[in-house]
Order: sequence, then structure tokens, then C-alpha cells
Amino acid sequence: MLRFVIRRLLLLFPILVGLSILVFLWVRALPASPAVSLLGERATPESVARIERQYGLDKPIYVQYWRYVKTVAEGDLGTTIRSRRPVTDELKERFPATIELTVAALIFATVFGIPLGFVAAKRYGTWVDHASLVTSLIGISIPVFFLAILLKYVFAVKLGLLPTVGRISVLIDIPHPTNFYLVDAILAGDPEAFWDVSKHLILPAIALGSIPLAIIARITRAAVLDVQNEDYVRTARAKGLPPRQVDIRHIFRNALLPITTIIGLQTGLLLSGAVLTETIFAFPGMGTWLVEAIRQRDYPILQGGILFVSLVFVTVNLVVDISYALINPRIRVS
Amino acid sequence: MSIAQAEAQEIQLEAPSGLWSEAWRRLRRNPGAIAGFVLVGIFLCLAIFAPIIAPEDPRGAGVDDLLNRRGPVCCPGPSPEHLFGLDEQGRDVFSRVVYGARYSLAIGLVSVAVGLSVGLFFGALAGYFGGWVDSLIMRATDIMLSIPGLLLAIGLVAVLGQGIWQIMIAVGVTQIPIFARLLRGSILATREADYVLAARSIGVPGRAILGAHIIPNSISPVIVQGTLAMATAIIDVAALGFLGLGPQDPATPEWGTMLTETTRYLQTAPHLALIPGTVIVISVLGFNLIGDGLREALDPRFRGRA
Repeated sequence: MLRFVIRRLLLLFPILVGLSILVFLWVRALPASPAVSLLGERATPESVARIERQYGLDKPIYVQYWRYVKTVAEGDLGTTIRSRRPVTDELKERFPATIELTVAALIFATVFGIPLGFVAAKRYGTWVDHASLVTSLIGISIPVFFLAILLKYVFAVKLGLLPTVGRISVLIDIPHPTNFYLVDAILAGDPEAFWDVSKHLILPAIALGSIPLAIIARITRAAVLDVQNEDYVRTARAKGLPPRQVDIRHIFRNALLPITTIIGLQTGLLLSGAVLTETIFAFPGMGTWLVEAIRQRDYPILQGGILFVSLVFVTVNLVVDISYALINPRIRVS
Repeated sequence: MSIAQAEAQEIQLEAPSGLWSEAWRRLRRNPGAIAGFVLVGIFLCLAIFAPIIAPEDPRGAGVDDLLNRRGPVCCPGPSPEHLFGLDEQGRDVFSRVVYGARYSLAIGLVSVAVGLSVGLFFGALAGYFGGWVDSLIMRATDIMLSIPGLLLAIGLVAVLGQGIWQIMIAVGVTQIPIFARLLRGSILATREADYVLAARSIGVPGRAILGAHIIPNSISPVIVQGTLAMATAIIDVAALGFLGLGPQDPATPEWGTMLTETTRYLQTAPHLALIPGTVIVISVLGFNLIGDGLREALDPRFRGRA
């Protein structure tokens, strides 16, 4: 097991190096040079040259890359162009919002997706099964931004039930030591704020979670159908175990393997989807931050943001792989 | 499974019908796949015959007083004259949706072609040669896959600039690692097959073995993935358009771009969001249905059944 973890960690190294080279080269490939984007379009050639000297942009490319790696390793992602604040400061405000949103979405997807797929498999071929198949098919065919617009239209515009903009009502004022607003509300001991933050989270989380829900339901159904016909299930039934116990102990536990893999694989989809969902609900997370940065050509934000999101993504995948090995005895042995 | 059943299955597997003819036969019996073909067929017709079907110019050219036409409150909904209503610029939404089929299908096709061809090239190299070639290519795909797809596409658009070709490339590049890994895995499974060993033992050159034996036998998952990738590509293109990174000219009737500003008019003119969105869902659904049908039809485990 330890060897597996070490091997998996070693694999991380080339990915990190490659990722940093990619992001480094990406900025150099952008149409606007960093000096011009700092100084604005009307910069004189002299001032451009001065900035390039100041930032070491006149040095050979490998020297520049090494400097970049060193500053990033020190936790310095540069300064934004618009607000002139460190990128990491803004990151600290934005990232918790996206985490709150994606975790809520993943909980929604898992809590509803697994039972849906399980019931569909148990009622294989009946209308329940067909209905869940159609639902999950539509679920994977609907773009997340359109689903978000639909939810906004039905629950906010038509029914007026839920807020559709931001993370918290303007009138509610609590301190934000962690920037996880749900945690902040608990720390402040303010149930009203907690409820308000939750209400702001519901629609974006449903929008973001629905597509993973459809995928999880599909995989659960397929996995349960596969496991159901295994010999050990038949044996368990034959020795007279109550059906419920067979369902949970034999079928569900074994079906859980593919299900955990697929849940782990949703991270990329969730991070991509968060960009779109946040835009529609004006949710101040990483997504809206990056989209604003594109519109304003704030490349330091894009550079730092994409690198950071990718690091998170890689780390989550690593955790998924390791936990998968923990669950699956066949991998543990080899 | 009883011995009789096992024997029966073996006999069926040896039936003279080839993989493709049998797959086609099974596909025709799958109602989902048929529905998929019908949906995709409709969109192909819309795309090809757009100038005949669309009553007006999707860009609103040639119509006098466009802004007067939409009235003081945006925007008139569906009516007999304008099937899907008018947009905030006074343009006929139906015509824009019809022409949009051209953009979505063309961009989808080209980007899948980019992802597929480049991905297959590297996947074949990795799978066939193995060793350090394989390691190098697989690490490269690891790195590409470590950036969430949409962010990779956004980053590429930032470098390449906005425009239709740029989107095609950006969306295509995000699909390269998926195809490369798929074909590699598939080749690794076929490479050890007896007929490959036989070909090698009679001295068939490596490239010929790859082209004549390994790739044809590894290709069916790629075809399935290609169809499903069309669905993803349409969604990704629309997502870029929705974020305002679509075709440079905002008058271009691209479905995702059509959705961009509509959240502002949800109260008064929900049709502006609902119609292009529904059209995207239906076309994506069509490709997903075909892809699922193909997967079942080509999966050897399902062969011989129904």
C-alpha cells in the first residue's frame, strides 16, 4: 500500500513540472506582453524596456522559468493588474466560495444519484428504470449554464422562492474570518445568516450537481446490474440472508468501487461547471473571478488562477486514486 | 451459464456476419439510437438547407427598422409571423436558430476531427511502440488532463484570439488526451493478439501491422467516443460562446452566444433563453443517443444478443 502511495506521489512530480512549464509558456504566448499589460497600450518603448529589465524579462527563457518556479514556490502568484493586490489575497476570498459550491453540488449529486441508480437497477426494465434512464440521459445532454438559467427562471423569476445573486444578502453583516460563509455564520453564531447563506447556495448547487447526479446514477445502475449476477450474491441469497442485507452488504458494497471512481472523476467537470454556474448566479467564486479576468485581460489572475485550480484538481485526483486503492483490495495487493 | 448455453453462444460468435454488419443490424433495432439518428438528421438538414428554411437573414440585415420592430419592451415572443419571436436586436430568432445549426455542427465536427486525428496519432505511437515513447506521451496527456477542460479551452482562446477557427482548435485540443489514451489502451489489448503475432512472424513490417491489424481492431471504442465527443464539443463550444469567448462578431448566430445576454430578459422575454438552450439540449441528446447505441452495438459482450 505504502509503495503504491509513493509511486503515485512520484508520478505527481512530472505533472507539476509540466504544468508549470505549460502555464509559464502560456503567458509568453499571449498576444499582449506582460510589460504592455502592466503599462497599458500607450506605453513608450523605453518604459517597456525598463519594466522588462525590472521583471527580468530580458533574461534567457530558462532563467525566467526558474525565477517563476521560485516565486510560485514561495507562494507568490504576482499582483493583479486591476486592483494591484496580490493574486493570492484575492484567491483567498474566491476559492472558499467555489469549494462551498462544489462540495454542496457533490453532496446533492451523491445523495440523490446513488439511490436513483440503485432503485433503477433493482427495478430493471420497469417504468422506474426507464424513467431514471431518460432522466440521466437528459442530465448528461443539458449544458450546465442552460440548466442554471432554467432553474433561475423557474425558482427565482416565476416562483420567487430563492435568491439568485451572490452568496449572502446585503443586509446581513457577519465577519468573514474563513471566507467559507457557512462556517463564518456558525462562528458568528448567527442562525439567520446561516439560513441566508444556505438559501443562496441551493440553486447554484443544484445546477452544478445535476449533471454529476445523472452520471453517478447511470454508473450506479450499471454497477449494481453487474454485481447482482455474481456468484457470491446468489450464494448469499441461497443461504437465506434477508434481501435487505444482501442488497447492502453484498451488492452495494461491491458496486461502490466503480461509483467512487466516477465520483472522483466529477471534480474536473465540477470545476469547469463552477465557472459557468457562478457566472449565471453572480456567485463571487473562482469562476466569476477568472471570467472577469479574461474580459479585462488581467493575465496575472489567469496565470495564477489556472495554475491553482489545476493543482487542486491534481491533488483531488491523487486523493481519489489513493482512497480507491484503500477500498479495492485487488489494487492494494499488487 | 450452462454448458449448452455456452456452446450456443460460441456458435453464434462464429456466425459469418462481420462485426460491422451485425453492429448495424443491432443498431437499427435500438429505438434510442433511431431517435438519435432522427434528431441528428434534422439538425443536419437545418444546417445544410439553412438559407431555404430560414425566413430572414440571421444577422437581421435587409430588414428596415430592426429596433423598432421589437417594440419598447424586449421582446415579442412567438407569433405566427415569427415562430420563435424576436430577439433584443429585433432579429428573427427562428432564423438565427436555423443558421446556428451550421455553426454548432461545423465547429463540433472540426474540433472532434482535430482531437480525434491528433489524439489517434499519439495514441497509436504510444500503444504500438511502448517504452519511453509511451511514457512520454502518457505523461503529456496527464498534464493536459490536469487542467479542467473548460479552463484549458479558455486559456487557448486567450492565446489564439477569438474566432471560429480558434474555438475549433481550442475545443479540439481538450479532446486530444482522451482519444490518445483510449486508442492506446485499446491497442495494448490488441497488440498481444495471436493474429498480430502471426503477422509479425511472417515478416509483415511494423507499420503495416499497425495499419492493417491493430488499428482496425482497436477502433470501435474510438468510434463510440467520437460520437459522444460531438455531444461534448457542442456543449463546450456553446459554453465558450456563452462566456463571450465565441465568434468575434457578436451578430454570429451561434447558439451559446445567443444565450449570453438573455439572463437579463428572463422576466419579460424568457423565450430568448429557452429556445436556443432547448435546441442545444436536443442536438446534444441526439449524439448521445447514437453514441450509446453504438457502444451497445459494438460491444462484443452484447454480441449475439437481440
